[in-house]
Amino acid sequence: MPEPDLKVRSLTKVFETAEGPVTAVNNVSIDVEEGEFFSLLGPSGCGKTTTLRMIAGLETSTRGDIVFKGKNLAGLAPAQRNLGMVFQSYALFPHLTVFDNAAYGLRIRKLKGSEVKRRVDQLLGILGLDGLASRYPTDLSGGQQQRVSIARALAYEPDMFLLDEPLANLDAKLRVQMREEIRRIQRELGILALYVTHDQEEAMSVSDRIGVFQLGHLRQVGTPEAIYRDPTSLFVADFIGKINFFPAAQLSGDGGGARIRLASGFEAVLDRTKQLSDEEKAEFGISMDGVLAVRPEHLVLQPEGEPGIPGILRRVLFLGSMTRCFVETPDALREVMVELPERLPHLQEGGSVSLGFEPRNAIWFGSGNG
Amino acid sequence: MKPLDSTGTTFTRLSAGGTRRRDWTPWIVGAITALVLGLFLLYPIGKTMLSSFVRQGDDLSIWNLTFHNFTRFFTSPLYKQAFLNSLVVSLSTTVIATLIALPAAYAVARIQIPFRNLLMSLSVIPLIAPPFIGAYSWVILLGRQGIFTHYLNSWFGIELPSVFGPFGIILALSLAYFPFVFLIVQGALAAADPYIEESASLMGAGRWRMLRTITLPLVLPAILSGSLTVFIRALGNVGVPSVLGGDYYVLPTLILFQVEGFFNLNGASAIAIVNVLLVLVVLLIMRRISGQKRFVTVTGTTRGARRSVSRRARIFGIVYCWGLLALALLPQAVVLFSSFAERWTGTLFPVQYGLGNYRLILNDVLSPIINSLSLASVATVLALAFGVITAYVSLRKRFTGSWLIDLTIMLPFVLPGIVTGVAYLTTFNSGPIVLTGTAVILVFAYFVRRIAYAFRSISSAIGQVDPQLEAASAICGSGWMGTMRRITLPLIAPGILAGGILVFSTLIGELSVTIMLFSGRWKTVSIAIFEYLTSHRIAPASALGSIVVVITLVLVFAASRLLKRSMADMFK
Repeated sequence: MPEPDLKVRSLTKVFETAEGPVTAVNNVSIDVEEGEFFSLLGPSGCGKTTTLRMIAGLETSTRGDIVFKGKNLAGLAPAQRNLGMVFQSYALFPHLTVFDNAAYGLRIRKLKGSEVKRRVDQLLGILGLDGLASRYPTDLSGGQQQRVSIARALAYEPDMFLLDEPLANLDAKLRVQMREEIRRIQRELGILALYVTHDQEEAMSVSDRIGVFQLGHLRQVGTPEAIYRDPTSLFVADFIGKINFFPAAQLSGDGGGARIRLASGFEAVLDRTKQLSDEEKAEFGISMDGVLAVRPEHLVLQPEGEPGIPGILRRVLFLGSMTRCFVETPDALREVMVELPERLPHLQEGGSVSLGFEPRNAIWFGSGNG
Repeated sequence: MKPLDSTGTTFTRLSAGGTRRRDWTPWIVGAITALVLGLFLLYPIGKTMLSSFVRQGDDLSIWNLTFHNFTRFFTSPLYKQAFLNSLVVSLSTTVIATLIALPAAYAVARIQIPFRNLLMSLSVIPLIAPPFIGAYSWVILLGRQGIFTHYLNSWFGIELPSVFGPFGIILALSLAYFPFVFLIVQGALAAADPYIEESASLMGAGRWRMLRTITLPLVLPAILSGSLTVFIRALGNVGVPSVLGGDYYVLPTLILFQVEGFFNLNGASAIAIVNVLLVLVVLLIMRRISGQKRFVTVTGTTRGARRSVSRRARIFGIVYCWGLLALALLPQAVVLFSSFAERWTGTLFPVQYGLGNYRLILNDVLSPIINSLSLASVATVLALAFGVITAYVSLRKRFTGSWLIDLTIMLPFVLPGIVTGVAYLTTFNSGPIVLTGTAVILVFAYFVRRIAYAFRSISSAIGQVDPQLEAASAICGSGWMGTMRRITLPLIAPGILAGGILVFSTLIGELSVTIMLFSGRWKTVSIAIFEYLTSHRIAPASALGSIVVVITLVLVFAASRLLKRSMADMFK
């Protein structure tokens, strides 16, 4: 296996605040391969932006190493790291034209005027900004400003491409278009990209791999599909996509599977089991042995009386490509969401139903040995 | 959340393993600030305090300490009277200025008045033009042989009190300083949430009740802060009571008298200390009052207060506001008028008009003009340089010594100009650093007096530059110096220039510090005007005064265009 391009080791950031030290990033280690598109995903305040800023050198680290292609970046100022970065606010220089913004890094690197012009023109062309070179940032639309900031970040062929919530200020439609474009350019240039976002759909759609952050910890790293199908914690399961939690008692847990029983008495045997940490158990308010987790698309609605989890159908929403139903049951932690591929004619709001699922589609998060 | 959005260049202590070089800029700036604070503020203040406890002629040592200079406030009728006069003049000025300003502020904020912006811009003229330049106009208008006096007497038989003494001083100062209250209260009234008043009127409050129970209490902090400025200015003003005082002494003219008459720096120091104590007492009282009444008046709504369009309200607003402004600008108009009077002795109006006075002063006082311009330029450059580094550090770096900067900027505010003058004269007349009579002492006094102007306009400019721009520049490969040169300085240049113009223009006519520190070699234009006035050569004084006021106005106007702010906003 080749040595990863970027190695982040035990990276930690402690901020001294008036209320005492706050650990914003806690012992984070990441490996990113050459040309990989890696997303740092998590809710606000989870440490993803601070991690990115430490890699950029905009924030000093309290502990830990950042090594790029065998070179430790710790002692280097941002200017010496040869990075390209796109900021949430774009941070375009308002007193410089589009061309001068894009040429900024090239001129600092003292390239010849003709070479600067050739490279900037080429990049502006790729980004669909031809004809805007002599405009000022304030004359541009949000999407155009975004492209200029990408051009500025990539003009001098940096070693890494860092993006800090680059799409947060765009409207929904433009967001989808821009993320595709960012992904296309990144692939074309084959540059290692680190992408910070709080939007899981965005992260899933563009990334090779995702690192999910929570409270300063890196909880899980994997491809979008792996993280969705195989979350290792309740937080990740809950944050990536939608999921239903059913607290349950564990009857036996020997061999490969776990035998569990819900409050209603429904029993199931599950092959896929994960360890539930005491922290998460407390955080999600689980008083039983563990939690059964099932995605909405893996639940089916059966007539009352069939083996399954009993509940009452509260609402049916027809959403075009699918039908979303909400079922109330004392067995679940919250109202249960069910997504059905088709509208079933017999569904009656207020009627009793039974929730069924294939055990291979469910995960058991169990604490201890049961 | 503060630490999370800090800039990349923050000053952070690194633990083991970090090899990143330390950021020394906060330390360097802290050292410069400490030097300025120590050398030009604390040292003079300390030495002045010490010398106020020593008899004139005695050495400054703890063996010679005495209350002699202070007991004169109880024993000498002159001192006692000057103290009382100062209180009377500054309190009356504050009350009158506030009372005449409030209706105008209300009218401009809440009544539809034609040429509102022009009115606001013109209202800063009394603040820009040094009040002593216009003070003599009141003698021309209201003196024994004054124009108004003549007509009032012959038409209505009204006898006016003598313009020399409290009447003239209070009149001149009130009309010169009311815009401080007017501008800040107008701003507060315009910004106040209209929903509050609307809900009061829905609950059935009438116009007067609403004014009394809602509107006035909401803008009380603004009123207090405006009137505090008026009080401090009135208490420290030396020019107007010199021109209109006669033998009616106030503390600043008593200081002047002690220094010019007897070179009694110890006595002057004691008077200066008493002057500052008065400022501090009033400052504390005001803080007490406004501290108890703190309201949030500005809310998220972007809707401004509604302006009345009723006929009666508009007539009142137009007559009152434009009338008050006309009255306030009258002294400047008279100055301009009398600058063209070539012969004017013993008659009601001049008998010959022409440009003779301007020719005269261009021959006579070219060197004071050059002196003023060069002293003000050097002081402005210093204030700007200091302003840029302190504002940058206090906004962009984590810096534990920021109280140093705050103190350096706030201290000159409570020290009236003449007090700063006395302190510098006392301090740099003897001892390790002797600067009396040099240009250096004037430059540093000017610099210290105007730090706050420079700091304010530069820090508001830096505040508008997104720190991410500097981070972006660093990421692109630029070092700190390069980022300053290519990004930060170009972006804050308009703010620096505007601050510079504000500092420079208010220094050209500076009198209260200058009068203590000037020398034969370094006479300024304000001293030249002052000398003309006190030797009753009114016409050349007026010509020179007109030139100063016009230069100042043009510069401030240019600054306001540059900042795309109204002239009124620059003085809030």
